[in-house]
Amino acid sequence: MKGYVKALITIVLGFAILEPFASTYPDGLEKVAETLGIEEPEPLWEGLMPDYTLHTVENPYVSTLLAGFGGILFVLASAYALGKAISKST
Amino acid sequence: MHIPDGYLSLEVSILMSVLSAVFLVWCWRKAKANYSKSFASLLAVSSAFVFVAQMINFPIAYGTSGHLVGGTFLSIVLGPYAAVLSMTIVLLMQALFFADGGISALGANIFNMAVIGGLSFFVVRLIAGNPMSGKRFVLGVFVASWVSVVLGALACGLEIGVSPVFSQAGGIAVTVPAMLFWHVLIGLGEAAITTAFTTQLYRLQPAILNGLTLFKGNAH
Repeated sequence: MKGYVKALITIVLGFAILEPFASTYPDGLEKVAETLGIEEPEPLWEGLMPDYTLHTVENPYVSTLLAGFGGILFVLASAYALGKAISKST
Repeated sequence: MHIPDGYLSLEVSILMSVLSAVFLVWCWRKAKANYSKSFASLLAVSSAFVFVAQMINFPIAYGTSGHLVGGTFLSIVLGPYAAVLSMTIVLLMQALFFADGGISALGANIFNMAVIGGLSFFVVRLIAGNPMSGKRFVLGVFVASWVSVVLGALACGLEIGVSPVFSQAGGIAVTVPAMLFWHVLIGLGEAAITTAFTTQLYRLQPAILNGLTLFKGNAH
């Protein structure tokens, strides 16, 4: 258990350090659409934090950092529940 | 490689959702009751790692970026079936909370990244050999992670290419080569990162690499 907590702290720190250096260039699919002159349609569902930002927070680093933390919590909780569901009941 | 809403026709969306649902049921059955209780913590932390890694885009070339998908990595840590389920959780959270990948394209995104990514495990096993050799394992991880991204991009190119938005721009004759061109390069980033992380984990904590037990043919 201690090992997992350490790993999680490393992941969170790594994210906080690397996040400002993440490339803002379009990804492969976005680039293909851009080259072909296709605009991205409006999403059917915006979600709570579209494009990994909180609109209430102005600073872009903090905004993405907090959105990322939120995402980490959602993923941890749902993946843990999945893990409990597929592991042995005894 | 996350397909947004509006790129896929209704038919493609439905077809890919059904296909992914079949794979998810199959993976659920294969994964069920094969793990001990402590597995839930490992599944949670490795899924969180992949979620974070997917937020860190690295520049590739000509103003284009890519990010780790992480399917091969998950399959080495969790085994192929749990890896498909883990990646599905990540994609579901991205679509639900961050509009990263459209809700209507979720089935396609699960197929392109979770199913292909998780099952790339069998490419690793094929190359690593039985009994597994260390050098061939590293080569297997490198090749499998590259292949998983290129195949995912091929599937994505086909899915968008047959849908109306892109078929007006030339269809699969344009989308497939364009997707492959970028993802042949992005796949090299995937392969480098996956190989670095897996070999490091293999050195430090071989016991947590659940996928490795499948190399001997016994499912835990």
